Amino acid sequence: MKRRSPLLMVFGTIVTIVVFALFAMMTWSAIKGNDGKPLTTLEPQGPFAQDIQGLVIPVFAIAGVVFIGVMGVVLFIAFRFRDRGDEETADEIPKQLHGKTWAELTWTIIPAVVLLVIGIATVTTLATLNAPAEANALHIKVEGQQWWWKFSYDNSNAAVGNGSFTDPEDVATADELVIPVGREIELSETSNDVIHSFWIPALNGKKDAVPGMITDWKLQADAPGVYRGQCTEFCGLSHGNMRMLVRAIPEDQFAVWMKNQQLPAKVPAAGSKEAAGETQFKGLLCASCHLIRGVNDAQVGSPDKGVKTQLVSGVAPDLTHFATRGTFAGAIFNSHYPNPTDGPTANQPFGQTCTVKGSSGTSDILGNKVDEKDLPACPQANQFDAFGIPYASAPGNPNNPPDKVALADWLRDPTKMKPMAPLPEENPYAGGRRRGMPNLKLTEEQIDQLVAYLNSLS
Amino acid sequence: MADVATTLDTSFDDAPDPDVAHGGHGYATNTGLSNTKLAMWLFLASECLLFGGLITTYLLYKIPAAGHGPAPHELYDIPFTSISSFVLLMSSLTMVLAVSSIERGDNQRFRLWIVATALLGSVFISGQVYEFSSFVSEGMGYTTSRSSSAFYTLTGFHGVHVTIGIIMLVSVLLLSHRGHLHRGNAETVEVVGLYWHFVDVVWILIFALVYLIP
Amino acid sequence: MTDILPAKLEPAGALALPSGASAPTVAPLGVFGRPKTKTGWRSWVSTVDHKKIGIMYGTAAMVFLMIGGAEALLIRAQLWAPRQHLLSAEAYNQVYTMHGTTMIFLVVMPIGAAFANYLMPLQIGARDVAFPRINAFSFWCFVFGGLFLNSSWLLGGGADGGWFMYAPNSGVLYSPGHGIDFWNLGLIIAGIASLTGAINLIVTVLNLRAPGMSLMKMPIFTWMTLVTQFLLLFAIPVITCAQFLLLFDRQFQANFFNVSQGANPLLWEHLFWVFGHPEVYLMILPAFGLVSDMLPVFSRKPIFGYPFIVFSGVAIGFMGWGVWAHHMFVSGIGPVSVTVFSLTTMFIAVPTGVKILNWTATMWGGKLRFNAPMLFCIGLITMFTIGGLSGVTHSVAPADTQQTDTYYIVAHFHYVLFGGAFFGFIGGFYFYWPKVFGYMLSDKMGKWNFWLMLLGFNLTFGPMHILGLQGMSRRVYTYDANYGFEIWNKVATIGAFTLAASILLFIVNIFVSYAKSKKMEKPGPDPWDARTIEWMIPSPTPEYNFDPIPTVTQLDDFWYRKYGETEDGRLVRIAKTEDVTQPEHEAHVHLPSPSYWPIVTAFGLPVAAYGLIFSMWLALIGGLIVVAGIYGWATEHPDDPDAAHDVDHGPDGGHASGDDHDAVHDADAGDGDADSATDDEKEVAPVG
Repeated sequence: MKRRSPLLMVFGTIVTIVVFALFAMMTWSAIKGNDGKPLTTLEPQGPFAQDIQGLVIPVFAIAGVVFIGVMGVVLFIAFRFRDRGDEETADEIPKQLHGKTWAELTWTIIPAVVLLVIGIATVTTLATLNAPAEANALHIKVEGQQWWWKFSYDNSNAAVGNGSFTDPEDVATADELVIPVGREIELSETSNDVIHSFWIPALNGKKDAVPGMITDWKLQADAPGVYRGQCTEFCGLSHGNMRMLVRAIPEDQFAVWMKNQQLPAKVPAAGSKEAAGETQFKGLLCASCHLIRGVNDAQVGSPDKGVKTQLVSGVAPDLTHFATRGTFAGAIFNSHYPNPTDGPTANQPFGQTCTVKGSSGTSDILGNKVDEKDLPACPQANQFDAFGIPYASAPGNPNNPPDKVALADWLRDPTKMKPMAPLPEENPYAGGRRRGMPNLKLTEEQIDQLVAYLNSLS
Repeated sequence: MADVATTLDTSFDDAPDPDVAHGGHGYATNTGLSNTKLAMWLFLASECLLFGGLITTYLLYKIPAAGHGPAPHELYDIPFTSISSFVLLMSSLTMVLAVSSIERGDNQRFRLWIVATALLGSVFISGQVYEFSSFVSEGMGYTTSRSSSAFYTLTGFHGVHVTIGIIMLVSVLLLSHRGHLHRGNAETVEVVGLYWHFVDVVWILIFALVYLIP
Repeated sequence: MTDILPAKLEPAGALALPSGASAPTVAPLGVFGRPKTKTGWRSWVSTVDHKKIGIMYGTAAMVFLMIGGAEALLIRAQLWAPRQHLLSAEAYNQVYTMHGTTMIFLVVMPIGAAFANYLMPLQIGARDVAFPRINAFSFWCFVFGGLFLNSSWLLGGGADGGWFMYAPNSGVLYSPGHGIDFWNLGLIIAGIASLTGAINLIVTVLNLRAPGMSLMKMPIFTWMTLVTQFLLLFAIPVITCAQFLLLFDRQFQANFFNVSQGANPLLWEHLFWVFGHPEVYLMILPAFGLVSDMLPVFSRKPIFGYPFIVFSGVAIGFMGWGVWAHHMFVSGIGPVSVTVFSLTTMFIAVPTGVKILNWTATMWGGKLRFNAPMLFCIGLITMFTIGGLSGVTHSVAPADTQQTDTYYIVAHFHYVLFGGAFFGFIGGFYFYWPKVFGYMLSDKMGKWNFWLMLLGFNLTFGPMHILGLQGMSRRVYTYDANYGFEIWNKVATIGAFTLAASILLFIVNIFVSYAKSKKMEKPGPDPWDARTIEWMIPSPTPEYNFDPIPTVTQLDDFWYRKYGETEDGRLVRIAKTEDVTQPEHEAHVHLPSPSYWPIVTAFGLPVAAYGLIFSMWLALIGGLIVVAGIYGWATEHPDDPDAAHDVDHGPDGGHASGDDHDAVHDADAGDGDADSATDDEKEVAPVG
């Protein structure tokens, strides 16, 4: 018998222990470690996500039992039947057993039965999840495009929509889907360029948004709150930056919010910085892509109106009520300083342009190190905005003022903040159209005026 | 379990008998099929999926999106295509005759039938070229619509296959002229024939699915 | 197609013409005579020997593994911390696309091909594959396809659409660079390699088995090779079809994926996954075969339930065609399709589970020796089980809507492909190294290699389960600090570098063991006390493989030549290894001659592909090279006439007369037929 290497045996034992410890820690993390994980699939917050959870947890449990069983048996065999290297048994040869039909049948039938049970549960759950939407469901059209989401509400005042998303009372927003708590939301998804996938893990699984197709999906939130999401079908350059969030608010607040959204944009006071911003907006390239209702309706390029669009996807975020949203640019940057009631993790802004007490807020929104002294202190406490909505939106609310730094950085050079392909000359196939927002080479004065104007659009 | 193995053993136990020349082919193999012929069958099986993909694509895209030119089925000249399909079918017949001639060792007839097969194939290809050019002149180019792309790609792929078949036939003819072909290796011709018949059968399928079914 | 033409240029030997008719002798038509070198680089580029080709497949795959591995490390380095700037979004998308493509098409598949090429003919007792020149052509297509694909890094950047290349994101509008064209054409070229290889290997298994080796006496690796090659045979044309459609869209403005023309993006998804799922099985099955052949050796017991293992492999092969849409549960296919594919996917777990349990039962009651190959086998059984179980959780379609396109999936398929296929392959390397190269790899270093790999592997991919369940999407080039992904990403990055170290250790082992082997005794034909007939022949395998070709009477034929039962039913050794193995001797076997035409023909393909991208003139040149190659190939004399009568050919060999039965073979009369058939055929029909 060859000499065994003790060092090797120690290493092998350590590796075995580490691997099992790793799996134990992973299990613990899945059960207990979901705090501070805004995208976790393991803490459902609505009935659909709950259904999925109820189905998959037993499957995980079965898988865990099988895992432990197989590992145990293999380890047992490895120990029990190892060649001990004894002199007296050196010539013994194990019985040459070619198989046992009963054994084969057993381990064919038992897994098949277990899978049959899982299969029946799966089919039942699929039926529940695919049931037609409830009669009072709010119908929302979800359009994905590189690299942000557009949400259009159907006939927002009526209990039941009329199937059109372009009536005068229908409104469209970007990046943030505001929904009433406790009501079923029926989504009709599509895409204006490549395939995207809409996913709010806390509320339901994901569904692809496919160009040229409508895919149906449902959401429902049981409690008010912010539920974050991420595009999950690879959609090109800034796929990693294509995010969205759902703000679930009580039904009465939703009505207030909707009423405000239906209004055209606020008109700034003559002579103010905001008014100068509006003038800039109309005079710059901004106005050919972004709609601000009541300001540039005729200017904005759109295939519907026969005005040549600047964009491959044909549409840019609607800015009419920009200041009522907490994020911008595909929900990757906060447009307002953070609000502690925005959920436990949202205390820290995604890109940090202020310092949060107790955190080491020393990097800017791109993650570059900055001197803490250069950043304003983040507001520490806040209740609700003017609509009673638990997030920053109300202009003039001293507790969560607009994040002028982030927005100004964005306007200074959007492609630096988020990889995009906005230059038509770089793509001979795009027919002069852009994918994303170009650097407009604005002056600091223009930026200052635009930031003031955009932040007044409540 | 041992039983299962035994049963299979007998059914698969095809170890060759050294005294039997299998099917008149060059050498004995476990299956009795020559390597070349088996390889051709496998290749054709694989080709089925290539054409399966292309035919599926065409069926999916049969109708062009509104405002994107004529649909292929509006332009089909069924009598014309029927004749060219018939021509191709006849070439299968001449191919069979060629194979049987070489197997009898009749080199004269063999060459005659091979020439006939190649000519019929060429007539079919010419018909396809004529058809394509008339479709283009009627406003259905390759990039006109999803249907036109799918139509030209499918029938074009088939046309390329026929063309390769014609090249193979011509090569066989040259070999025969140089005296390389005889009864003993008639299988070469048979294998070329397999390919030729396959290409024909695919055309029958295309003709039925693409041209005839509305 | 033209390849088949020369099949019968030569008389097929005495057996071929029972009538006695003699065929005319043919003057060589070739441009140049067939190369004769047996050493030096020329012998490699012109070789048609399945063993050399197998070694080259393995070597090329290892080189591509270095490239794909470097890409993996770049990915892990980028994800080490939130908002890193190591790679730009553009670079990251190219790197992860090329990582997946390289690992699948240029590493795992070719390693499978390496084993299939080297091993399968030995396991069935054949002299070579059915079409040796086509075999060489397949290999060169694969190499040139891989090099062409990777040359995109130097010519404007790699493909950036993900290995799944979903339309319309892969169209020119969304990816105007040439990366995707390189991807498309490179994989079409590699696909030619797979398709011709598949036909070749299937014919070999079906036609060239040693006498007595019925299908149910074949070693399991050979069975799995057969299943794998059938999967390739039917999967490759589907992806080729899809790639042609994409190619025509990108090059000629066709409208297959142009949504404004009413195209349906799901067409690509369906075509891709009809190929893509069988693809998954054809990557794993060769490793399953290797494990099924290695475990019995180290357990000293036959495989438990041979027919069940074989049938479960075949069943996986069949069922693998009915599960593709489980990649598309969230794509917008209807609920009925989702339900059906969900159920079929669940039930493909049954044959897979049968395999795992049969391997466990093989070890049960054995006398286990834990050499490095055995450790890797056990690694495969346990790690693949984890991958299989997470696979079952995806088959539950509603759960998959949460899991798909997250790191949970990344964890799953790495457990299957790395923990499954790759562990099996590395184990196979350790096991077959002496047979291939004539020296043993250090077992001790092999064990270090195993434990380090097991550690690195689990640290890398284990945490991805949790990252995925906690919401981290795949294919994101970065993430933010407050998603809570940082800790597990750090663990995974540490793991990835550990894994890289373990692969480095394997390579170090190759060289260190080689240096040491010069002072050590040769390992002999049967260093592991193995069971299958490839261990009967000298190590390294002589050029002629077997001489004489053995007659097979049962499964594990070689083992039963060594061991038998006494009258009281006790198992004892009945023959010494030296007595049942074949001694090495001067070759008296006529083998297929090398040829330059396969590499010439294959070389034309990438030239034509560059032409399609850059200039049609170049495409024309490439096309001419291919045509010239095929012409040279077809008209090449099947053998080098000058070499016909040298020592190679045995004392009485006048082969031009068609009497090709040399003395050595006649001596082994029992299996004369298949033997001489192989032999004749080598002479006549290296049609390939």
